[in-house]
Amino acid sequence: MKKIVALLLVACMIIGSFTACGKNNGGNGTDANGRPKDHVTLKMYFHGSNVSDDKKVLEEVNKYLDEKLNVTLEPIWGTWGDFDTNAVLAINGNDDVDIYFTCSWSADEYNLFAKRGAWVRLDNPENNLLEKYGKEVWNLLPDVLTTGAKIEGSDGFGVYAVPGYKDIACQLCWDINVPLLEKYGYTVDDIKKTDYYGFGEILAKVKAGEGENFYPLLIEGAVAERMVDNSIIVAGDSGSTNLLSYYINPTKTSDKGAYGDVILNKFATDEYKKFVTKTREYFLKGYIDPGLANAEQANNLRSEKQLTGQYLIGTQSYSLGYETQASAERGFQVAFVGTTPAYVDTTSSQGAMMAISTASKNPERAMMFLNLLNTDPYLFTLLDYGVEGVHYTKNDIGEVEFIENERAKYSPWTNGMGNVTLLPPQKGQGADFWTKFKAYYGAADRIPILGFTFNSDPVSNELAAVANAAAEYALTLSVGAVDPEQVLPAFLKKLNDNGMQKIIDEANAQLQNFLKNK
Amino acid sequence: MKTRKKSRLGKPGIVSEISFYIILGLFCAACIIPFIFVVIISFSSEESIRAIGYSFRPIKWSTGAYQYVFQLGDQLWRSYFNSFFVTIVGTVTSLLMTIMYSYALFRKDFKYRNFFTFFAFFTTLFGGGLVPTFMVCKQLLHLSNNYAALIVPALISPFNIIIMRTFFSSSIPTELIEAAAIDGSGEYRTLFGIIIPIAKPGIATVGLLTALSYWNEWFLAMLYIKDSKYIPLQYLLMKMQNQADFLFKNASVIGVEASKMLRDLPSASLRMALVVFIVVPIAFAYPFFQRYIISGLTIGSVKG
Repeated sequence: MKKIVALLLVACMIIGSFTACGKNNGGNGTDANGRPKDHVTLKMYFHGSNVSDDKKVLEEVNKYLDEKLNVTLEPIWGTWGDFDTNAVLAINGNDDVDIYFTCSWSADEYNLFAKRGAWVRLDNPENNLLEKYGKEVWNLLPDVLTTGAKIEGSDGFGVYAVPGYKDIACQLCWDINVPLLEKYGYTVDDIKKTDYYGFGEILAKVKAGEGENFYPLLIEGAVAERMVDNSIIVAGDSGSTNLLSYYINPTKTSDKGAYGDVILNKFATDEYKKFVTKTREYFLKGYIDPGLANAEQANNLRSEKQLTGQYLIGTQSYSLGYETQASAERGFQVAFVGTTPAYVDTTSSQGAMMAISTASKNPERAMMFLNLLNTDPYLFTLLDYGVEGVHYTKNDIGEVEFIENERAKYSPWTNGMGNVTLLPPQKGQGADFWTKFKAYYGAADRIPILGFTFNSDPVSNELAAVANAAAEYALTLSVGAVDPEQVLPAFLKKLNDNGMQKIIDEANAQLQNFLKNK
Repeated sequence: MKTRKKSRLGKPGIVSEISFYIILGLFCAACIIPFIFVVIISFSSEESIRAIGYSFRPIKWSTGAYQYVFQLGDQLWRSYFNSFFVTIVGTVTSLLMTIMYSYALFRKDFKYRNFFTFFAFFTTLFGGGLVPTFMVCKQLLHLSNNYAALIVPALISPFNIIIMRTFFSSSIPTELIEAAAIDGSGEYRTLFGIIIPIAKPGIATVGLLTALSYWNEWFLAMLYIKDSKYIPLQYLLMKMQNQADFLFKNASVIGVEASKMLRDLPSASLRMALVVFIVVPIAFAYPFFQRYIISGLTIGSVKG
């Protein structure tokens, strides 16, 4: 009996050691046409896609890739729902995937998995992939992305992924229903001149005019809080209810904010108290829909009311060109008023990246492919928008119009694909969209702690307990559905009882360490 | 005297009988009310859900969700077919293997009986964990994007084997097998011609358990299936739910796009309509098994 078990164990180990080895080297040398010799297949894991039929696209893509790199691409279309579990499993399971989508907010978090040795270091002096095969893409990326990508990982300080060139800055805006505002004799400038605490008069007038069932203030509680208090999400904390806050300077975001370089429990600050007290006042006056306090339905309710224009002032995280898109979708003029200039933080600078897996058998070819994908407009447009004439058509000024039926079957997530500035503009964006895009995002300032990511592993137990408490109170407080006089002290007590201070201390220790090494 | 004795043995007192009924009644209610709730939500109109949330008495009724489900078209019926296919093929194969494994364990003259009992039992205590399982299934057995990926990993359940073996040893006398052997019946004939007909109640119980687990399985699909051709109904629902949850959670980092994508996702009532689609067929399977299950329930109560 014991012998058999022992034999089995030995057998397992032998099989295991066989499967573990077997890495061969990617094809060196080139053939007559100047492309690499061996034909290889690259598997690439995308996030957020909605793809049910990729046959036509892949045919074209692979024809092109075969000519250029002697490569066949096999995409894995991860969706919002399954990417987190599956990508992590595939990485931990040493699956033969060559390239993974990674970023600061997905489960295969860039910094964490770089430390664990899941990504190939691209500027490693030993292989120097970036220098040899990725120069073009590296040189066209803005400085903020290339510095943001340099982190501490398993092979030392360096680059572990190619950042995607997308909307790299973050700006939160008041979302204004312009026709309604003008109906009551105000203009967008009146909103620009005042702030959240000065909205009272306008809201009162509109509420009185539109009647009992109209709620002028359509806010997403957590977003409104960040806008009013000038607090931002600390990268690494985004999965929970966002307990940690860093305060930025609302006029010049590269300068230090009100509290300097520290991380705070956002619910314990004076700003938060002031915000919830005012919000409570607005709520009691009937400016905020009570439905917004229902976590299950708040999102649906908000998008429904936005679409039908049943609001005056809303909250929106902005990206360039969204006013045109929103106005077209909703059928009335929408304006966005930022509370701060656009700024770059860790979350947005590491918002979408492509990392080469250490399990990849052909890291060189993967790097060549990433380089081509991020510099070749034909390839990128083909992979993202589909085949011209099948998935989309172009109008006279070169804007893309999608063919809805086919596009519904093939919609990858554009921002998760790489260099979006290679794409032709979409209908309504205008032919010079990408010039404006580069100007807008190029001008964005960096926050002082750009690059910092909170590693929650040492306090994961406390974080879970505290997140439960926050889930119970934060939403209702931030839309004014409960009285802060009574609820806020109880909430804070619950947070402290569950170890909030320990989390804050840990975060600050990590931040100080980060700033020291910077 | 005689009747008193009988009543003591056969019938509980009136008080305990009433309390049993109350307990069982409450238990039934706890099982059935959530389902009724789901049906009600699936027929609630979107406006009603938005205004008052989920409620037993919605403001307005609507069949919008079901109309949308039927418009889902191909994918829905494809997934429906997949669920049925996997459940039927999986249950039959799994039953066959379970019966053969446990029959061998039940036979006292099987030489490696102890080892194979331990072999099955060991896995209930120690598992390899998710990552090694994933590696074996995907890289060694190539279980990805095919029906086998949905069937093979769940073929053998040690729990079912133990139930089956216990059932065999409590209902089948060893003499029967000896008698069959003397009459010249081979091993396969003894198993399929004599043992299985006797063991029907046990097989039905295990069969129902297996069918249920195959029908409700979505995790395997999430791990191994990327091609929408093979997606079973449960995973279709899970996907919608997961996407909504994920986008909701990460809306702040994904930004503008997230709110747009959230808007395009199916609504709450639609998800509940899908739940109804999932529950109804398996609920109809119960009556077929019921006859056997009642006798199967006594498994283990006669002999340990």
